[in-house]
Amino acid sequence: MFSLTRRCFLATTGAAAGAVMAGATGRWAKASNSAAAFAQPKSSPVIDCHAHLHHHSSSTWKDSDRKLIEAADKLGIDQLCCSILTPRRPATAEGFRECNQWVAEAIQRFSGRVLGYCYVNPGYQREALDEIRRCVLDRGFMGVKLYNEYTCTEPVLFPVVELAIELRVPILQHAGHSHYFVADQPRLSDGGHLAQLAARYPEARLICAHIGGGGDWEWTIKALRHARNVYLDTSGSVIDEGIIELAARVLGVDRLLFGCDMSMTAGVGKIRACELSPADKQRILGLNMQQLLRFRQ
Amino acid sequence: MLIDTNAYLGPYAFRRLRHNTADGLLRLMDAKGIAKAVVSSAAAITYRNPQPANEELAEAVRPHRDRLIPLAVLNPFYAGWKDDLKACHEEFGMKGLRLYPKWHHYELTDRDCLELVHLAAQRRMILSVPLRVEDYRQRSWLVDIPDLKPADLAPLVKACPEAQFVFVNGAGFAGSPLGQKDSGLPENYTIEISRLTAVLANEIGQLIGRLGPERVVFGTGMPFNYPDPALVKLEVLDAPEEVKEQIRWKNAAKLLGL
Repeated sequence: MFSLTRRCFLATTGAAAGAVMAGATGRWAKASNSAAAFAQPKSSPVIDCHAHLHHHSSSTWKDSDRKLIEAADKLGIDQLCCSILTPRRPATAEGFRECNQWVAEAIQRFSGRVLGYCYVNPGYQREALDEIRRCVLDRGFMGVKLYNEYTCTEPVLFPVVELAIELRVPILQHAGHSHYFVADQPRLSDGGHLAQLAARYPEARLICAHIGGGGDWEWTIKALRHARNVYLDTSGSVIDEGIIELAARVLGVDRLLFGCDMSMTAGVGKIRACELSPADKQRILGLNMQQLLRFRQ
Repeated sequence: MLIDTNAYLGPYAFRRLRHNTADGLLRLMDAKGIAKAVVSSAAAITYRNPQPANEELAEAVRPHRDRLIPLAVLNPFYAGWKDDLKACHEEFGMKGLRLYPKWHHYELTDRDCLELVHLAAQRRMILSVPLRVEDYRQRSWLVDIPDLKPADLAPLVKACPEAQFVFVNGAGFAGSPLGQKDSGLPENYTIEISRLTAVLANEIGQLIGRLGPERVVFGTGMPFNYPDPALVKLEVLDAPEEVKEQIRWKNAAKLLGL
């Protein structure tokens, strides 16, 4: 069993970043070997703000969920904020209730490791609002997950946003921006839509999903610049060099939330690599999310 | 030691790259403990005539040949490619070619491409084929270049058994003929890890099990990509240390004749 301790995760990150920023020339110096020279950060949490457990229609869901926790163990991730999506969308009310029930069970099964987003289709307004109340108030879910059933500026979402404000929980909104029509996601939201929604509801806490999930990340970061109540999730398979530094420069590190969206080494590697201070990385890795979670309490 | 089989120098048409000069890349390599990197020109991807970019690359790496190993980008449908191949190999000492069939608008099984591969193989140059340059979803409005699929590569490796291929920036090999143990394909290709998983589906582990550890090589895609994700994969990969050493540098060193 090979694992990255949190200390190694941060230390390697900081040592490497420091070396690049300083124009280091230490020939072939392995970054992790420099850990001892790196100021040790105080202990702080690593929270993946965007993860998914597996739909139970898959015969391997139990094993796949276990592998996710094992991967988190190996990578030094303390907690995963999870949802389960229906395999086919738009989700029915029955479909999203079933998914949330399974997330509730996983919160118990992986106690302390799994936090829950309540996934709903806002098109089923009464059922969605009831489900959010039930999940947040009775089951301790930490947020709401919205996918692509509707663009987030459509009025059908507004009651969901208003309820999330009332319950003081964040909304993780699936998003991406491409320079072509995304035929299989005609109502895909992007950073511009999220900025509009944020302007309408400045007291909402919105999370723009997976900056590394495909799409033009430079566009998205620029679109979110003035939307102060939108956080940006760093997850996704795209590991383009400079993506985190640009997000930090334009949005500020306080608006960045570490995530993987199941691209585990990509998610961890991006934060480890980026040229930010260890303190800033700690905020991205978990302190910012911890603050969001405290808002509910 | 680490040898990166998937690195680049120079500007890219659709996004600013950092660390894309020889000095900049070497600094990044130092910071990450990467000893040597196989580099080609990022500019050559979109140049009509790639040879000036190969010349620029040769000039850039000249003082650093102990660490930066250049590959030429050639287009077998562009006039004079045989002259360019000769110059890149004999004058510039390039160790191989990097091919962009989708960007340069040809098929890997086109006669001219096969001729290029055969001639490069005769010179014992490796053939590096990126399955993508960037994530397809972030493409510019100017271009629509799909990824190569692993299955697209099978006819090529079969048609050129004497060649030595390195497939970079790819994923999904485990579900393709290239990732099967008894596929009937020649064992003339290796697969680079920058887009493969090391946890969850663990495609790296699957390929090691099916093809053997000698068929997997380390690569990052820098400076397009952050190098750390590939480093993290090796750190968490559930494999014996001697296998990791093969992936880190031994396999690449053998391929490159180092």
